[in-house]
Amino acid sequence: MRRSCVYLLIAAIASGCNSSTSPPNSVAVAQASTVEPSDERLATLYRQSCKACHAIPNGPAPLVQDRSQWDARWNKGMPALLQSTINGLNGMPPGGQCFSCNAKDYEALIRFLAGQT
Amino acid sequence: MLSRRNVFLGLGALTLAGGSTIAYRLLRNNEPPAPPTTDSKGNLLWRNWSGIQHSYPQTRWAPQSIDELATKISSQAGPLRAVGAGHSFTPLVPTDGTLVSLDAITGLISHDAEQLTALVNAGTRLGDLGPALASIGQEMPNLPDINKQSLAGALGTATHGTGRACKAIHGEVKSFQLVTAQGDVIDCSRTANPEVFHAARVNLGAFGIVTQIELQNQAIKRVHKKTWVATIEDAITQWPTLIQEHRNVEFYAVPFTGLASIIAINETDLPVKPRGPDLDTEGLMELKRLRDLFGYSSALRRKIAFAAMSELPPEESIDEGWKLLSNERPVRFNEMEFHFPIENQLAALQEVLIAIEANRPDVFFPIEVRVIEQDDAWLSPFNRGVTGSVAVHAYYQDDYQFFFELIEPIFRKYGGRPHWGKLNSLGASDFATLYPRWRDALQVRAQLDPQGRFLNDYLKRVLQ
Repeated sequence: MRRSCVYLLIAAIASGCNSSTSPPNSVAVAQASTVEPSDERLATLYRQSCKACHAIPNGPAPLVQDRSQWDARWNKGMPALLQSTINGLNGMPPGGQCFSCNAKDYEALIRFLAGQT
Repeated sequence: MLSRRNVFLGLGALTLAGGSTIAYRLLRNNEPPAPPTTDSKGNLLWRNWSGIQHSYPQTRWAPQSIDELATKISSQAGPLRAVGAGHSFTPLVPTDGTLVSLDAITGLISHDAEQLTALVNAGTRLGDLGPALASIGQEMPNLPDINKQSLAGALGTATHGTGRACKAIHGEVKSFQLVTAQGDVIDCSRTANPEVFHAARVNLGAFGIVTQIELQNQAIKRVHKKTWVATIEDAITQWPTLIQEHRNVEFYAVPFTGLASIIAINETDLPVKPRGPDLDTEGLMELKRLRDLFGYSSALRRKIAFAAMSELPPEESIDEGWKLLSNERPVRFNEMEFHFPIENQLAALQEVLIAIEANRPDVFFPIEVRVIEQDDAWLSPFNRGVTGSVAVHAYYQDDYQFFFELIEPIFRKYGGRPHWGKLNSLGASDFATLYPRWRDALQVRAQLDPQGRFLNDYLKRVLQ
């Protein structure tokens, strides 16, 4: 099969792979590497477990405090977000790899990440 | 995993076109069943990174200091299981007793600039250790593909990188401190408690809680990372030469494509050329999409992949090693990796490739091929000579039982030892035949933990 035929074949039947995630908000991008919870213990948990993925603009995880990426998730409600956090979902590892977190820590971290503080 | 940017961008560009109903029907999104987030007693769920191991520990304990750990450990409910980043696929961590996290015992303690050693708290994540060591002009001689693990977890499971002259992480440990089940604090090195040092450098978290680790590092260096595409046949043919020529080298054989991605890292004085944003994930998901759409025809799948990938240009980056050796891996997977005498490695790889392409069209993850230098820890998979490893992966939503039925018999036929943190079905009698100092190590363990407080059900099967 000639390469051009291969390309046409793929173009004809391939799926879309556009991300459904909105482009990051420029303000959120600017503050992503520095913003942290005000509570010292929570800030430590955030740095150890959440920051590596949620402070990367254009990464697979929704950017910290970027309401354009978080509001739709926030609208699912805390129980659903807690379930996804503790069990993991897609690229989100179970517990966000925070194994010293309790349920209240998870709720507080979700609230912080979603910009709902 | 594919440590390669842009390898599959050609394929990615082709598949950007609009969504067909065929694709919609074929593309899979089968999130595995989720256990309840709490048990009947209200204990919170713990799950490993890939999601296949879980438990409901009655206590989550993150001691704030080594003193607290030593003082209170004897009164904690067993089994006592330490968790790092939860990256092990084997059930090392599950416990209904106490889950111990060292997340509060982290960071660099001290260093010796002349000897290039550093004393580090064992809860430190590898990803945090890189910049901390860089700030004192040091680096670990090698790093694994992923750097999310804790130092203690990496040590305990014999986590490794790649390089003919590069030992696994535990191979560069000069000494460590261990807190026993009774709360005793033991310093271990080649001269202090040497039996414990040899038995527990690779420890499965079953000898005690490792709290501090002295690492033999090296002066920080700039390295040149180059990645290129070759045929699998060429990669296999060149492998003996590649491992001699490059400080770090590995390749990923991509099933159903005939192609491999070779990654080589060498020291350089060239100016910095930072790595760009992570596109490996996109490339990997394109392989998944290729599987979803064309998995019914291996011939078509191979032609499409070959056309898209085979002529991609090499990619290069230059920076400090800690910035280039490890990678972000946001796509979760399950994994089986065995370690072979180097002379058996390629035969094992070739047989596994044939078996996968004949039986498992659902596989799309690349097969990882690495080399590791010898060390002398009693439970080290690398203690019998230069070792070649082969790792098979399955997407976290996909079936992985074929690891045990199809892959493991091949790996065992070639004398493989399993990675301690990766899936395998071996038990104590199997390990006793694979490790000459097995019984010695178990004796040391029993002396340190006579009541078996560090043993969960899995470890009872493996270590008793």
